[in-house]
Amino acid sequence: MTLRVPSWRFWVLALFVLFMIVPVIATGLFSVATRWDRTLWPEGLTFAWWIKVTARSAFMTTLMNSIWAGTVSVLVSLVLVVPTTYLAHTRLPKAKPFLEFLSILPFALPGVVLALGLIRLYAKVPLPLINTPNILIAAYVIITLPFMYRAVINSLESIDTKSLTEAAQILGANPLQVLLRVIVPNIMPGVVNGSLLVFSAVFAEFVLANLLIGTRFKTFPIYLVEFTRSDARQASALALMSFAIAWLIALGVLWTAGQANKSRQVASRA
Amino acid sequence: MAATTNKSRLAWLGLTPFVLFAAAFELMPVVTLVRSSLSGGAGITLDNFARALTPNIIAAFGNSLYLSLTTAIGGTIFGTLVAYAIVTSPNAMLRHAVTALANVTANFGGAPLAFAFIITLGSTGFLTLLLGYVGIDLYPGFRIYSISGLGIAYIYFQTPLSILLVIPAMAGLRREWAEAAASLGATKLEYWRLIAIPMLAPAMLGSFFLLFANAFGAYATAWTLTGSDVNLVPVQIAALVRGEVVLDPELADALAVLSLIIMVICLFAYQHFARLLRRGQ
Repeated sequence: MTLRVPSWRFWVLALFVLFMIVPVIATGLFSVATRWDRTLWPEGLTFAWWIKVTARSAFMTTLMNSIWAGTVSVLVSLVLVVPTTYLAHTRLPKAKPFLEFLSILPFALPGVVLALGLIRLYAKVPLPLINTPNILIAAYVIITLPFMYRAVINSLESIDTKSLTEAAQILGANPLQVLLRVIVPNIMPGVVNGSLLVFSAVFAEFVLANLLIGTRFKTFPIYLVEFTRSDARQASALALMSFAIAWLIALGVLWTAGQANKSRQVASRA
Repeated sequence: MAATTNKSRLAWLGLTPFVLFAAAFELMPVVTLVRSSLSGGAGITLDNFARALTPNIIAAFGNSLYLSLTTAIGGTIFGTLVAYAIVTSPNAMLRHAVTALANVTANFGGAPLAFAFIITLGSTGFLTLLLGYVGIDLYPGFRIYSISGLGIAYIYFQTPLSILLVIPAMAGLRREWAEAAASLGATKLEYWRLIAIPMLAPAMLGSFFLLFANAFGAYATAWTLTGSDVNLVPVQIAALVRGEVVLDPELADALAVLSLIIMVICLFAYQHFARLLRRGQ
């Protein structure tokens, strides 16, 4: 084994990996450092900031609020998108370009613009919308439409919906049974994949939560931003938690995407 | 026959919940903004747009376009280099690990990321201290709370996204082609100029436009890092939404419509190149 000069590939990959992990590791270290602003390495290690920030009642409230918002957004999105996409795919191919358009448009809608549009439209309407979590969930379902629609339509296109539906009908299943007991189990990996993407995006969302309801319904990212202005150490513990959650969900997304691919390959071989 | 028409009518009826929801929370808000931005004393007018383009707002558009342009170009070039390094790496474990890292970090953004950069490159940040030890003083020449600091934070989430967008096109670039080109007497430069770059161009251009839109609409990172110190379009719109600035709703609507136009152009361009790419494969 002779020592050789690392190739350009090594430097490019090393630079990328360092760039991606140094800020995260620095945040993690900062959150357990007694003091770290004049020495190269933290002067001491402590869990005090973690204990302090998680002991507050607002910590649990905001964490629960974000988990709740993510879960409800996923459920509403599933109920709206799965049957609609199935219907369009199997019965109404003419509706597909329209759905396609609706599910790509949110990419062109910055959070600030959607928030402004919703406020201008509903501020004076006597419905429980503006300043309630309802409007936030509605906005979340819209901005995550690209993820859910893509996941569901890709799964549907990879299975033979026609034969499955006919087989189930011959066996006496009604349309709802066909959808829930035959189609959904077959597209499950894709649906779980889409749901995780939706949850992840909603959990980390800041702009809409900030502009649509402000302090009345505090989410985890809002709590974090408040701390970045007041206590950097406790903020760093919260930031590391956000990274860990995003990381866990992203691994789940990767894994379910692998599962969806596998079932696709099995389906195409069959 | 009558039964089938009835059935298909019933099927269309099945779309109504979704269509109503999208109309109420996606289409109508946009229509409201467009209509209000065009409304004035008498009929349709571009008055609001003319009024919106104050020196301050023009500067915001200048900053936003500059930040989007530089981070979209930087992210795409760096992302393409990393993607090429990944695809051509002989080590399968390394390939999977770095791709997974890109998948994970593409989801990092907003407030936690902005804060991580304060910890890393702030005035007493880890990297700032480290560079100080080797004799490189970042401050006061550089500030993480400035537009160039913001650019570094944006490159963080732009690069992995670009990697994920470009990698599929890389797979189409066969190793044999480089060998074939070389055996026909082409230099490495000629191979890149005549074969590799044209093959990768649709993916790189698609990545550029998606990254551009991604940066142009980003608000959480900018807000956490710089508050309203750096004058950007989303910061201006958010300030108008909060009513921090003089209450002038039509003005905010005109600004929102202008940024919508930029986003829609980027999205169309991205779609165009994504289609080219699918056809090429």
